[in-house]
Amino acid sequence: MQRKENETPQGQAASVLVEFLEVAITAVVFLKGVYPSGAFERRRYMNVVVQRARHPQLRYYIHATVSGLLPFLQKGMVDRVAVVFFNTDNVPLEKFIFKLTVNQSYGSSVEGVDLQISLRSFLAKLSVSESLTKKLPPDCRWEITGNFQLLPETGTSKEANFWIPTDTKQWEQPLFITPIRSMSSDPLCLQFYIEHPSLSESSVL
Amino acid sequence: MDSRLSNSSSSTHHSNSKKRKKNATANNTNQKTLGVAWGSKSLSASSCSSRKSPFSDFSSYMAHKNCKLQNQFDSEASASAARKPIFSGVSIFVDGFTVPSSQELRGYMLKYDGRFENYFSRHCVTHIICSNLPDSKVKNIRAFSAGLPVVKPTWILDSIAANRLLSWVPYQLEQVASNQPKLSAFFTLKSSKMSEDTFTNALCQVEPDVQDSFPRVGQLKERHPSEVGEMVEVCRQISNESNDISSKKTDVFMMEEPIGERVICDEEKLAEANSSETNNERNTEGELDPTYQEPSTSFSIPCSDNQNVHQFPSSEATGSSKQCHSTLTDPNFVENYFKNSRLHFIGTWRQRYRKRFPTLSTGLNNGISNSNKSDIKSVILHVDMDCFFVSVVIRNKPALFDKPVAVCHSNNSKGTSEISSANYPARSYGIRAGMFVRDAKALCPHLVTFPYNFEAYEEVADQFYSILHRHCNKVQAVSCDEAFLDFTDAMVEDPELLASSIRKEIYETTRCTASAGIGGNMLMARIATRTAKPNGQCYITPERVDDHLNQLPVDALPGIGYVLQEKLKKQSVNTCGQLRMISKNSLQKEYGMKTGEMLWNYSRGIDYRSVGIIQECKSIGADVNWGVRFRDMKDCEHFLINLCKEVSLRLQCCGVQGRTFTLKIKKRRKDADEPAKFMGCGDCENLSHSVTIPLATENVEILQRIVKQLLGCFYIDVKEIRGIGLHVSRLENADTSKQEKYTLKSWLTSGSASVEKQKYHMGHNKHNSDCANCASSHGCIHSQGSSFQIDNKILNIHVSGDPISTPPPLCQLDVEVIRNLPSEVFSELNEIYGGKLIDFIAKGKGKCESSSSLGNSLEDDATCKEEDLPYSDPIPLNQIFSENKAMQHERVLGSGHGSCSQVTHNSNIERDDLLPSSLSQIDASVLQQIPEDLKAVILEHLPAHRAQDFCSTPAICPGRINQDSVGVDTSKNCPGTVNHALNDSLWAGNLPSWMDKFKDSSCLRKLGEIYHRSGFNSQLSSVLPQFLSEFHHLDLTQEIYDETVNIMCELLKQYVKVKIERDIEEIYICFRLLKRFAVKSQFFSRVYNDIFPFLQAAVDDNYGGSLFMP
Repeated sequence: MQRKENETPQGQAASVLVEFLEVAITAVVFLKGVYPSGAFERRRYMNVVVQRARHPQLRYYIHATVSGLLPFLQKGMVDRVAVVFFNTDNVPLEKFIFKLTVNQSYGSSVEGVDLQISLRSFLAKLSVSESLTKKLPPDCRWEITGNFQLLPETGTSKEANFWIPTDTKQWEQPLFITPIRSMSSDPLCLQFYIEHPSLSESSVL
Repeated sequence: MDSRLSNSSSSTHHSNSKKRKKNATANNTNQKTLGVAWGSKSLSASSCSSRKSPFSDFSSYMAHKNCKLQNQFDSEASASAARKPIFSGVSIFVDGFTVPSSQELRGYMLKYDGRFENYFSRHCVTHIICSNLPDSKVKNIRAFSAGLPVVKPTWILDSIAANRLLSWVPYQLEQVASNQPKLSAFFTLKSSKMSEDTFTNALCQVEPDVQDSFPRVGQLKERHPSEVGEMVEVCRQISNESNDISSKKTDVFMMEEPIGERVICDEEKLAEANSSETNNERNTEGELDPTYQEPSTSFSIPCSDNQNVHQFPSSEATGSSKQCHSTLTDPNFVENYFKNSRLHFIGTWRQRYRKRFPTLSTGLNNGISNSNKSDIKSVILHVDMDCFFVSVVIRNKPALFDKPVAVCHSNNSKGTSEISSANYPARSYGIRAGMFVRDAKALCPHLVTFPYNFEAYEEVADQFYSILHRHCNKVQAVSCDEAFLDFTDAMVEDPELLASSIRKEIYETTRCTASAGIGGNMLMARIATRTAKPNGQCYITPERVDDHLNQLPVDALPGIGYVLQEKLKKQSVNTCGQLRMISKNSLQKEYGMKTGEMLWNYSRGIDYRSVGIIQECKSIGADVNWGVRFRDMKDCEHFLINLCKEVSLRLQCCGVQGRTFTLKIKKRRKDADEPAKFMGCGDCENLSHSVTIPLATENVEILQRIVKQLLGCFYIDVKEIRGIGLHVSRLENADTSKQEKYTLKSWLTSGSASVEKQKYHMGHNKHNSDCANCASSHGCIHSQGSSFQIDNKILNIHVSGDPISTPPPLCQLDVEVIRNLPSEVFSELNEIYGGKLIDFIAKGKGKCESSSSLGNSLEDDATCKEEDLPYSDPIPLNQIFSENKAMQHERVLGSGHGSCSQVTHNSNIERDDLLPSSLSQIDASVLQQIPEDLKAVILEHLPAHRAQDFCSTPAICPGRINQDSVGVDTSKNCPGTVNHALNDSLWAGNLPSWMDKFKDSSCLRKLGEIYHRSGFNSQLSSVLPQFLSEFHHLDLTQEIYDETVNIMCELLKQYVKVKIERDIEEIYICFRLLKRFAVKSQFFSRVYNDIFPFLQAAVDDNYGGSLFMP
């Protein structure tokens, strides 16, 4: 959590956010049980118990993806970050969405502690939100997607090159939203909710 | 705009590789554990082989052996076909040489179903049998016996002869019996099921007394095995005694109060003081002192020459103790405790003294100022009775004058009490105060001990002081037996002659000797007395001061205690002469300014104190560190109540009140054993908590409340408490405060000068006034706050703008309130009203309405105004208990005409203390019209349960048109003007304007109130549940207006708009709540149905989906 002094408030907020996202995404993946629970180990983050992927590749994937978001987060280009679970046909089953707003006009420095307390509540709530989600079929896959407000031009920046278009299809059914947690502070607004088709349909699936 | 990029990866791949790795690690760990197991096996094998013995160590060998012995014993026992299971449950261990031999005893145990242990074990053995014990074992009996009874072998023989198990108590080894009792001895006794019949035959005579004493101890101790043990212990002692001295006709046993032990005279004493003489003396004593002839002491009249009687020093105490013995617990423990406490006697003696010689002690002070100016060589006489506590007791027993005598609480044979005072013959044996009687007896076997005789002490002390006062008008009492006399002004020719005459007179009157010291100042007089003792006098003339001090050990100086002496010793200072070598500066550096100066002065015989200065006590309190054992919280509280009574009495005695209350608790240390001193406090941690209240008090009930609070601060298990003390400090003189400051009358007549300040003060403390005053509630009247509280309802009274010296008319008093007043306040008020208050109450009881015939013009007013009200309420509005006449009028006016003047309510809020005690006293129509924020504040300050009343009152007047709300509507409700900034301020602002809209609707107004209460800035979701639940009550009675639904919908719509973008969770929670209530409430179902499409549209706009409402 060491941050440079000369960072902009947005930069500070973004780096906190990136860290948080890495933990939160791991938590979501753990929650959904895509991997056996042995693939995670208990760690402490912001004074709450969280899971951390033990497998280096999984850990790297999450870490790299979220870190790749950092420059865009700073610029406020990222609208939402989603953890999408989809089946073998690339049909999405459930999306965990972090809707972000990094206040670009926020001037004063970010209070890490305040932010931490708010973010911690996400993790706490997430850990008890399993009942809100539905069970996934056994052979599902997942990905992290970022919804950008505008498409970063490939070639202009090195970071943008990492990002590839997703194969996952759009929602085919009417969409429902189950909010999990919201937070709005001056430097940063974050909403965390689940997108899913209606429960009746999910039972068909 | 929405571009989607993915940094995708496959999960299956991950999990596959994971699996492989996991397997690998699992293999690894398997191998490891195998290795460990193998290693350990080899290790144990090697260790076994090296011993070459079937037993790994000695203890397992012993276990084996014991087991084998037991088996042998068992088989033999079964072979010998038990005749009668006399010793069932008894397991003996024979120690040393016995007659009969241990093998014979073993045979008996075999025959009679007992057990015999070859090796001592705390767990198996119930009795130790031995005929003799070496000294070392007697001295450390506990280590030897582990608390088990040590019994002579004859016990077994006699039991067999009697064909039943006899009590082992009479057979206890004498060496041990004289030692301290062991509580644990009785656990095992009990467990071996002997307790039932053990004592019956031995105890028949003394049983009643034992039964009496039982509850007493029961009260002191928790109901715990140890307590039972204790009781059995006492019984045992009694039975022991009665067996030994079978010739006694009756034994009068008493529990001596503070000790809780029996008082038994032992044989030694009998030998010394032959009883006929004692009888005679008792008679003469009785003639001298009329109190001795009180019937309650008659039980102690001896009837046989061997009679052993202990009379209680105080007949009063005896009476009460008798009484309390018959109850299950001793409700007067505290009282009795202090009745029998020497320290208490000394501590409270001064108070008595002052009462007895009031003029003298005051006249004295005047004298001092004169004498201070004079340069005349001063002559100070210090008179001190010789071992006062002993000599008073034996003053009528000349035979004992030259015998060693000590005073202690109880002189039972166990000797567990402490010597509190010993006479000079006893001191020559090395007996000192604080010693256990047991130890003292060891030093001096023929020591005679006596209990206190407080009445005699009082009597002698009074005699002593009347003599002193006769001789001198400047007497400073140091203690009950010690005083300074200043003869400077008296121009005494020969101080020595005077001293001897005083001493002679003292001796002739009291038959107790006194010593006197004469010196130039108090210090020298005191030092002189030290040399004069015992029964002598000494004059240290100014010329001889230096000589005298030179060789004087430093600890002889007053003010030098153990700690200081040790420090000085380190500096190799032992005498005053050596002390004088040290400069004043270095003394002050070493020991502090004051102590240093004192040392310097005293070592030179300088003492500037003058006789007669009586130090005002700074704190008054009471400690009980003896006999404190609690079973549960109830016991503890009961005890505290009594302690409070005691302290309160002491405060009243001294005529003071205190503001700071300190509760001290002695808590048993975790590892502390049962204290050596019976029921003593033992090794304890000292804890204390204190609280300061704004108004000094000596009221018992306030004290009790404070103490209860304080006790709560400790978070202590009451069973661990070994001592409790309550001290009151920051004392104020009660007389002045009572007469001048704190009477209701004076307060009523007090001017208005301070009113403004008070108001401010009260306004500030609105919120914490409750807690600040709670300690001093109970209707005690604040001088400054000029308010008083009744039963935690704030019913503070303020002096209005004009000084009003007359009380309000009776009709304006609330009967309820008056009735609930504490008796003191009530009687005071009653006085003010010239006794009419009682009638008032009596009449008021029947009907609450003040329309009872209390003939008063105002009253008529009140009733007719009452009728004006839009609704009828059983309790008249104007029955507000308030001394504020003007205020009262205003209020009545306001409510009567239904016109709200803002001023009235403003002042209401400012002086929240004026709020009526019940909501029925508030005019709903008035309340309805006042601005929401004020209303909220008012409601907030009403007790919660009343607020509830208010909600359920159908207070709405449908016809009423509210102009305010119209205005608000126009400004708020244009949908076009709704932008985020406005909405934010609408919701986050100090006073969300939607609340105005709601105020003509009773149900929605409530929402505003709740929202207010929650402090404006909270989220709707936190307010809604409360509102919804409360609304539910109203819903049934309430007609639903379309308008109300619309308003509610609009409110929610705006809220959605505000929150949808940034806080969808909040919206979600609110609507889930709404949905839940929609099931129950028609109103909410309408609201919910109306708003739901809007909500979903808004969510769709922002999130591209609809909110999932399960």
